[in-house]
Amino acid sequence: MRVAVVGVGYSGFNANTPDLHWKEIMFEAAVRAYEDAGINPRRDVDSFITCAEDIWEGFAIFDEFVPDQLGAVLKPTCTICGDFLYGLATAYMHITSGLAEVAVVEAHSKASDILTFGEVIKFAMDPIWLRQIGNAHPYYFAALEMAQYINECCITEEQIASVVVKNKNNARLNPSAPYGGKVGIEDVLNSPMVFDPMRKIEIAPRADGAVVFVLANEEIAKKLTDSPVWLKGVGWWSETSNFDTMSFNAMYAAKAAKMAYKMAGITNAAKEVDFAEVDDRFAFKEIQHIEALGLSKRFETATLMVEGYFDRNGELPINVSGGNLGVGNLLEATGGQKALEVVLQLRGEAGKRQLSKAEVGVAQAWRYIPTASGAVAVFGV
Amino acid sequence: MVFNEKIVNPTELRHWEGKIELYWVYTSGSAGDEFFKALKKGKFIAAKCKECGKVYFPPRIYCEYDFSETEYVNISGEGTVRAFTVARLDKDEKPLEKPEIYAIIDLDGTDGCIVHLLNAKPEDVYVGMRVKPVLKAKNKREGRITDILYYKPS
Repeated sequence: MRVAVVGVGYSGFNANTPDLHWKEIMFEAAVRAYEDAGINPRRDVDSFITCAEDIWEGFAIFDEFVPDQLGAVLKPTCTICGDFLYGLATAYMHITSGLAEVAVVEAHSKASDILTFGEVIKFAMDPIWLRQIGNAHPYYFAALEMAQYINECCITEEQIASVVVKNKNNARLNPSAPYGGKVGIEDVLNSPMVFDPMRKIEIAPRADGAVVFVLANEEIAKKLTDSPVWLKGVGWWSETSNFDTMSFNAMYAAKAAKMAYKMAGITNAAKEVDFAEVDDRFAFKEIQHIEALGLSKRFETATLMVEGYFDRNGELPINVSGGNLGVGNLLEATGGQKALEVVLQLRGEAGKRQLSKAEVGVAQAWRYIPTASGAVAVFGV
Repeated sequence: MVFNEKIVNPTELRHWEGKIELYWVYTSGSAGDEFFKALKKGKFIAAKCKECGKVYFPPRIYCEYDFSETEYVNISGEGTVRAFTVARLDKDEKPLEKPEIYAIIDLDGTDGCIVHLLNAKPEDVYVGMRVKPVLKAKNKREGRITDILYYKPS
């Protein structure tokens, strides 16, 4: 059985959203998605899946705060404690198992409500072995991974800077990307070193927004739309929760991609994938994730980056939306924004940043510091 | 929809700043307890898988790969810097009074590592540098990871 994306809606993305409650952001995205799909959630949806993590929300048991704003009251609803792409995988299973014909997936970020972001991440760090050490922002943990990775792969600061330049400039063509800018290599190299070898501008600033997808089985999808986007493969993977056994080389993404590619029938990703949206919440992560997705070889990715191979008009465009560096860190909606961009591109609805060849696209998200987990989704038309 | 009109005057916006105090005890567990008891005496232990021989640090009672049991082994606590960062911002993203060097240190006689602070000049630190732990005075040790004050060049 095939599963299609028949509707997408989003709210944002903005640096902050002081006028709306987080439920209202979800409502706005949901209304747009149902409008896009041409469905009534009270009548037509069999399963609602939200993706959220209590620590970002500021209250516990997120799932009890859900049904109303999605039109899901008195319906099957559950919350995945993870990124939007994990929710997609769950919806895929609900549909292919026959439990649901139509399923809705939601993820959001109201990051601007979090006053103590550093403390919240610290709360996610191992309390016995890690959390008590030092006084620095837990961004240091990503910087350690970066230090190991760029050392192993001989990546230069100019190569890292080229990721920031590409994504910030891509974002200028995305009206929903609040952090776009005409940034050059020099601008990046002038950004202060905050966690050597990581510069401030390499850290994606936070953003607010919500993404809602409507998915359906093949039969319903063909009734609802002439141009469905197929969810061809999903994968998710965790390395370990322990820093001593983590690869610090995004093995989670490589394994998740392998799972998703197998399902999608992709044997040579570098040739068969037209474009990808990958997690770039720290600039080095983009290079690491491109490699993990098999879109280029280890040791060659950073060079290709500088040569423009991954540019909007390059051989294999990466993060045409502007990525997290341009759109912002959307917490659990990070994979949602990436999947959204892939769907818009595949539909030919990406406006000025529309790619000329977009038939197979990949979205990838990481579970952020301090994890070595993540998910991948493959879409096609 | 209901968003025909949005609040455009920021002075009309309302929110409240909330905080809620939460407390836990964090149990060190069987392996953690064994380690911290040893640490109080100034000794380091790791855990070796009885099946594959992989030596874990931090020590734990099971092997992640074989799902089989481990046994404790003595180690020196000294090691080699695999990666390091000079952290300049505190948890609120304000400049730290004094930058802190964090390092991943591969510990001798183990397949594992510790993430801890390095007490050295940033310009003197390099990948592959040999380091050793500096502990709190014996009577000040609490059986916590912070009983290791920092690592320093050896």
